[in-house]
Amino acid sequence: MRRNSVAATAIAGATAGVLGLTALTLPAGAEDPDLPAIAPEKLVASVMTAQPPAMAGTVRVNNNLGIPAIPSTESSGELLSNGSSTVRLWADGQGRHRISLPSEGGGTTVVDDGTTVWKWNASERTVTKYRAEARQESAGQEGSASSPHEEPEDPVATAQRMIDTLRQSSRISVDGTAGVAGRDAYELVLTPKPTERTVLREVRIAVGAEKRLPLRVVVSTENSEDPALRVGFSKLETAPQDAELFRFSPPAGAQVQQADKHDRRDTESGTHPQVRTVGEGWDSVLVTRVPQQTLQGRESGQDSEERLPGLREAAEQAGQRVSGPWGEGWFISTGAGSALLTSDGRLAAGAVPQPVLTEALRGR
Amino acid sequence: MTTTPAEAERASSPPHRSAAPLVRVLSAELRWVLRRPRNLLALLLVAALPVLIGTAIVLGGSPPPGHGPPVLSSVAGNGLMLPVATLVLAQNLLLPLIAAMVAADALAGESSHGTLRGLLLAPVGRVRLVWVKAFGVLAMTVLAVAVIVVSGTITGLVAFGGDGLVTLSGTTLPLGEALGRVALAAGWSAIQMLAVGAVALAISSTTEHPLVVLAVILGSLIVFGVLGAIPALEWLQPVLITTGWSSVVDVLRDPILAENLLTGLWRAGCYVLIGISATIARMTTRDI
Amino acid sequence: MAGTADLSERGTADTASAPEDDGALAARTRGLRKTYGRTTAVADVDLDVPRGAVLGVLGPNGSGKTTTIRMLLGLTQPTSGSAELLGHAMPEHAGRALPRVGALVEGPGFHPFLSGRENLLRCAAVEPELAGAARRGAVEEALERVGLTGAARRGYRGYSLGMKQRLGLAAALLTPRDLVVLDEPTNGLDPAGTREIRRIIADLHAAGTTVLLSSHLLAEVEATCTHVAVLQRGSLLTQGELTSLLESGGTSLSVSVSDNSAGMAALRDNGITTRQEGENLRVELTDVEAPDVIATLVRAGVGVHEARRGRAGLEDIFARLTEEES
Repeated sequence: MRRNSVAATAIAGATAGVLGLTALTLPAGAEDPDLPAIAPEKLVASVMTAQPPAMAGTVRVNNNLGIPAIPSTESSGELLSNGSSTVRLWADGQGRHRISLPSEGGGTTVVDDGTTVWKWNASERTVTKYRAEARQESAGQEGSASSPHEEPEDPVATAQRMIDTLRQSSRISVDGTAGVAGRDAYELVLTPKPTERTVLREVRIAVGAEKRLPLRVVVSTENSEDPALRVGFSKLETAPQDAELFRFSPPAGAQVQQADKHDRRDTESGTHPQVRTVGEGWDSVLVTRVPQQTLQGRESGQDSEERLPGLREAAEQAGQRVSGPWGEGWFISTGAGSALLTSDGRLAAGAVPQPVLTEALRGR
Repeated sequence: MTTTPAEAERASSPPHRSAAPLVRVLSAELRWVLRRPRNLLALLLVAALPVLIGTAIVLGGSPPPGHGPPVLSSVAGNGLMLPVATLVLAQNLLLPLIAAMVAADALAGESSHGTLRGLLLAPVGRVRLVWVKAFGVLAMTVLAVAVIVVSGTITGLVAFGGDGLVTLSGTTLPLGEALGRVALAAGWSAIQMLAVGAVALAISSTTEHPLVVLAVILGSLIVFGVLGAIPALEWLQPVLITTGWSSVVDVLRDPILAENLLTGLWRAGCYVLIGISATIARMTTRDI
Repeated sequence: MAGTADLSERGTADTASAPEDDGALAARTRGLRKTYGRTTAVADVDLDVPRGAVLGVLGPNGSGKTTTIRMLLGLTQPTSGSAELLGHAMPEHAGRALPRVGALVEGPGFHPFLSGRENLLRCAAVEPELAGAARRGAVEEALERVGLTGAARRGYRGYSLGMKQRLGLAAALLTPRDLVVLDEPTNGLDPAGTREIRRIIADLHAAGTTVLLSSHLLAEVEATCTHVAVLQRGSLLTQGELTSLLESGGTSLSVSVSDNSAGMAALRDNGITTRQEGENLRVELTDVEAPDVIATLVRAGVGVHEARRGRAGLEDIFARLTEEES
């Protein structure tokens, strides 16, 4: 009967729609590929020697670190706070990059055209221009792993040295394979040795088998089944990119700032005060003294009347009041670590339980 | 069905049609939708919206970043942002309500006036009736989006000028490509609103009270908004119809950030499929 | 249904004969049944609507008239049983039957924001048998036919009940029909409007169109119909030609007496059933002869002023049928 066939078609259609929606909730599953076995040393060395290819990719950041929301108008704040965000990357394989952090209705784009780094803030409509020197300085400040000054060293030796250092506190292994962004990858796993006093369980790095590019980093803790941090490519295409992507000219009507001015603002607000490391390996603790302005809060921006809340205020809200021979303060525990802010402005933080923090403070 | 010779003869002797030409039925439906005073009022409203926003920005300046709706802060001096910014605003409530309103009138409204009977007795086949009604919803929704975008583009170019579009990535697109991007945003947004319309049509097929349809859609928008904000229900988010509507601004990035837009299209497609299927299933079995 | 056995038998005899007899029926239902939850709206109705007839479906409100018509037209899905319209099974072949059927069911349905003419034009657009060019003419003709030409430009919102009903009739008559189904067509009409509807039905009948109308007004059915079907609580009590139904009702005697209560008592004592009708007593002459009635009255000392034989009206038959049933 016709009516029955219509009803059957309609039910099939609705079912297909529901299945289609369900498909959206499922993570894109990929079979673990079969790859020839490889020693961890060789894997690390091949990552070090790999030439960064020309590529375009999208990185998903799933942050479960439990860091309280950071007051900021910039998209980088979104990256640090809990939740998931997206980073888009382009590279031409010759040192030119483009990084884009889209946020709802705006976002930040950074273009490195080889000589100048341009930073575009879409909601403020401002361009920040870093000259080459400022750029290196800035790179050093961000604490990026490789310092350009030490560049001409044998990467294989560097890898070996790194592995040796790591081996003192960790077990390094290649634990199976994974599919990331449609690519086959080895899973390089770092596990803290039992003597390490840390809340971290393991750090798992997926390394692309073909291009030897790190494709995904997953940080897991003792406290939770879900990873505290998961940063990985959701899409990756290695192919020559349009040169237009790596050029930037400030659009009409945009405000252009010089980088040195930007830097001064940063030091003024004290985001980069002197930092000391106490301890080694997984249980190392960062100890620093927070400037008064940051501690108590400051006026945000140049013309805004709004006040950014001080660190102390935030710690009082999120933290738990503790005291000891080292003084008194607030203890904040997050998924992957903890921090302790004393009432006189000392700050200790690490991927460690509370006693390690107080030890580090006492040791000062 | 077995037909007796006599029956076959009767059926064929007066060579008559069993359905009016589709084009004629569709154009009658379109005329009916566009003759309705409240639909005209809605179109007028969406046409005025970009003008109002544009005027407000000209007089009072852009809202500072982080305040007011996203994208709006970049309208000043960048006229072609206005249509997309208005679209983002209208997407939250106005456009879904227009889609729901037309869908409510399409079946529930006709049913409450007793005119649905007339259509079925003409006869318009039940499945065909659903398609005709879906066409009416489509026409009105697309028209509403188009009116917003055209009015927004004209207002934007007149009030703020700009011979191109500064994208959210800081690049500048020439006018032609910029208009293409605005059209792309409109098309994407229209498809999202059609998903709402299709679901509203399904609700409309189950009731005789048009207000029920509006209330359900409005309620769902609010509930979905709340559900989307609860972290524990994050797994539910990809399924919610309202999720990712704001990603329409991704067409303003350079290159276009396609990921969320494509997911959004898939989601809207699923909802359209569910909505139309449910409507057909309901209409073929319903007593009218 | 003992009292209607003869009629029902005739009805089944008609339809049980050769298939060419099907062609003589504009509509028929077999075992048509509709239940809503535990209530039965229509119970196993076998209705025959002969071609060319004006058939009135008679029954009190809630007797299942409208539900039967809705199932016949394919608007409502029967719980069981079958319906045929112009030889096509409904609702499966609605597309073949309905273009030749005009219907006004459950009151007129139009959009208040459109004028009468615009409403009809919208109806005309979906009429399969109207060619594009003929639509406007057909609309004007239909408006003329129901006397709404003068009010065609006015919004439907401002129409009176009678005008709305007439516009509904106009929509049913947009194209030449083989069957016109009218559900309570005189609802809300003044006497002049009622007469107008009767004239239109008579015209349709004269042109050979089959008319199926439902009504709770006996007088209306009696005045317009050639055939009648009586529904009571969802069941078909009887159906057939109006004349044979009236004949079956037999004759009655209306007696004007000096003392009504004494007369009734006297008749009842002698086993003659009677009832008061207006100023007179009325006796159905089914198992008693007229002279016996008068003799009984005279014997009891009740003065007889006048006695008149009369044929039973539809009302009497209807009353008798529904009483028997309950």
